[in-house]
Amino acid sequence: MSGTAVPRPPVSRPHAAPRRPRAAVVAAALATAFSLTLTLSGCGGGSSAASGAGSTLKWTSTYFPSHWDPVVAGSGAQFRELALVYASLTRTDEKGAAVPDLAESWEYNDKGDEVTFRLRPGLTFSDGEPVDGAAVKAAVERAQKQKNSALFGDLTSIESVEADGLNATVHLNQVDYQIPQLLGQRVLQIASPKAAASPATLDQKPVGAGPFVLRQLVPGTKAVLEKNPDYWDAENIHIDDVELTSAPDASTVVSGLRTGVYNFADIAPSQAEAAKKAGLDVFVQPGFNASNISLNINKAPFDDARVVDAVRHAVNRQEFVDKLTFGYGETTDQPFPKGYVAYDPESENAYPYDPAKARKLLREAGHEPGDIKLDLVIPEEDPQAEIVQAQLAKVGITVGIRIDKNWATPFFAKDLAFSLYSTTGRDSAVQTLTAHFGPDGPLNLSSPYEPKGFADAVAEVRRTPLDAPGYPKVLREATRAGLKSQALVFTYSSPNLIAKSKSVSGLPANPAHIDWTGVKIAGN
Amino acid sequence: MVRRVLALTSGRIAVAVLLVIALLALLGPLLAPQNPLAGSDNALATASGAHWLGTDYLGRDVLSRLLDGSRVSVLGSLEVAVTALVVGTLPGILSVYLGRTFEWVTLRLTDTLVALPFLLFAVAVIALLGNGLTQAMLVTGVLVSPLFYRVSRAATLAVARAPYVEAALISGASLGWTVRKHVWGKVLPPIAVALAQTVGTGFVIVSSLTFLGIGVQPPAPTWGGLLASDLGYLDQRPWGPLAPALLIMITVWACNLLADAIRDVYGQAGRALDNDRKARAHHLARTAPAPTGGAS
Repeated sequence: MSGTAVPRPPVSRPHAAPRRPRAAVVAAALATAFSLTLTLSGCGGGSSAASGAGSTLKWTSTYFPSHWDPVVAGSGAQFRELALVYASLTRTDEKGAAVPDLAESWEYNDKGDEVTFRLRPGLTFSDGEPVDGAAVKAAVERAQKQKNSALFGDLTSIESVEADGLNATVHLNQVDYQIPQLLGQRVLQIASPKAAASPATLDQKPVGAGPFVLRQLVPGTKAVLEKNPDYWDAENIHIDDVELTSAPDASTVVSGLRTGVYNFADIAPSQAEAAKKAGLDVFVQPGFNASNISLNINKAPFDDARVVDAVRHAVNRQEFVDKLTFGYGETTDQPFPKGYVAYDPESENAYPYDPAKARKLLREAGHEPGDIKLDLVIPEEDPQAEIVQAQLAKVGITVGIRIDKNWATPFFAKDLAFSLYSTTGRDSAVQTLTAHFGPDGPLNLSSPYEPKGFADAVAEVRRTPLDAPGYPKVLREATRAGLKSQALVFTYSSPNLIAKSKSVSGLPANPAHIDWTGVKIAGN
Repeated sequence: MVRRVLALTSGRIAVAVLLVIALLALLGPLLAPQNPLAGSDNALATASGAHWLGTDYLGRDVLSRLLDGSRVSVLGSLEVAVTALVVGTLPGILSVYLGRTFEWVTLRLTDTLVALPFLLFAVAVIALLGNGLTQAMLVTGVLVSPLFYRVSRAATLAVARAPYVEAALISGASLGWTVRKHVWGKVLPPIAVALAQTVGTGFVIVSSLTFLGIGVQPPAPTWGGLLASDLGYLDQRPWGPLAPALLIMITVWACNLLADAIRDVYGQAGRALDNDRKARAHHLARTAPAPTGGAS
């Protein structure tokens, strides 16, 4: 697959809207019809999945990968589906901390600007190529240099990689103890170097060392995979086959689950009650989802701090949770969930909902009701925008919603004054912070602005080993410094809501990940 | 023409329904009991005295949104029909008179336009020119115009060689006068049928585009948009899509009914009906009983 014209940011998808974009409904319906046809006719790919033998995961996902080359797919929400095929140096545990994956261990030098990963011996990719230091080096260099890489912005700390047998030594341009956290499934899913020699082919025929091997791919619609017997943790993978399909319209997913077309699906909050009534297991997988209102303080009227503060006080976060997540989400005023190591309790509720105060601030700034007229530019229809519009109208700011299908170009070029963004977060808290608040952060609409003290605070976090006793404190201080930013108003966290058949056992509660280790499927 | 259409039951029903729809388009925003854009905490409420059709996912009154959204749907479909009428009819008539080059060029253009899928083309135009229904409907009107071209051309061909038309031209009547005096009257009925059908088609196109979220900026309500958003909340409001779906269905049905009525009146069946009526009237006159007190 050839590269995209616009460099993609190291972030997920623009908006985690609870409803599917309408334009996708038709395509999704066709996809479902196709998938159903295959299922009903029993010709879904010739795998054992289709014949019903063994344990088959029938997963329908709203994040069906448009790219299967991890370098092109980027570190957005699709990484969960790509993780079926690809493994990484590290993965995260239930606390979100890096633990061994392809690398059995790692060690920093004394200075902290070099880290050596030791790979597990005897591993191979599904094409027979060895998993070694050279493969890691190739993966990093490809992510840094490939023309259509969506990951190069995530790897700016890495100077070079040195391969020595099963060792891969990563040389850094600064002290950075976040690297094991960074080089997990979101940022460095490792492909076979031989297959990656042709990125366009890899994009349609992924070759990794993950728990499953792709057997059939109908682009944008369906993927059929089978268990990889050579996966390093194959003994804990109890699923024989996977049928991954692109989710149809949200209102039909529950019917598909009830009738056995699928046994695992991410669902819209509006469908949760129907799923429960249908006897399905419904649960919220922990995650780092956070939606925000992005302001450009380099443009009027947000170049006046009082207007920014007025917007902050005009936002009623609970309304987002009630109307968009049906109570399954949470309000948030920072890019981390409560309880996570980077969450800063001291910054909580710094700008409470207070429309009277918002109106007062606007008056002080010389704006009478109706004076300020703004275009809220978004890529697709999104109820979030309508809520923002209504809430700001209450304080006298008139908002027009403008849908721009080419939204990504002006957003990442920082040409917009007012927009929305939803992230699914990152495994490295520093990466999350710099993406939102750093001077070059893709989600900082006010670049090159950064809040005072943020750079020093982040540097201190990088210098602090993850297992150091003071790590949580310096990390929270960095979050606090970032939240001084006037460029972002965080609103709510949408839930990773999943419905599954009772035949599928529980998943590890791994934040933002879907980990199939130990999961069993009965009665297939 | 209106009187003859209204003489038919189907014509009366169609006109009545379309009059109601037209009134909704004109007065809908004034009739709306509540602000169609104002949300409330009462999201996805069932029908009640306060909200006759319930509320949507942001707590807005659905009835008010339906009434307010009528104008977009009606104006959009009229825009398609009128554009198609203007673009297609005149070249269709003139293609019979303006020589072989004009005829050939217009026929090839028509063939080309017919080959373009108008829904996809409308989406492409919106992507190119920005998210607005006006430009999409204009383009759709142009793509639908071959229907008018062909209907008007066929009707013109049927009368172009009629002795009285040729006599008029030979006698020195101008082309414009001849078309106005002799051709237009014959071409009008089939064009009226096509127009009624095209308004119905326009409704379907507007509803399809707005269903896909194309052409209007949120939170502006439209019938298609309401239908789409209601489908996402079937568990909470299973009857939700019924009202917008019925409105679309009834309007399109009424347009087609009107087209049928016009065709019945002016088509072969209409002529037969007319002749039959005249014959019966004549027969009645001939066989009427003699006045009392006459010759015995």
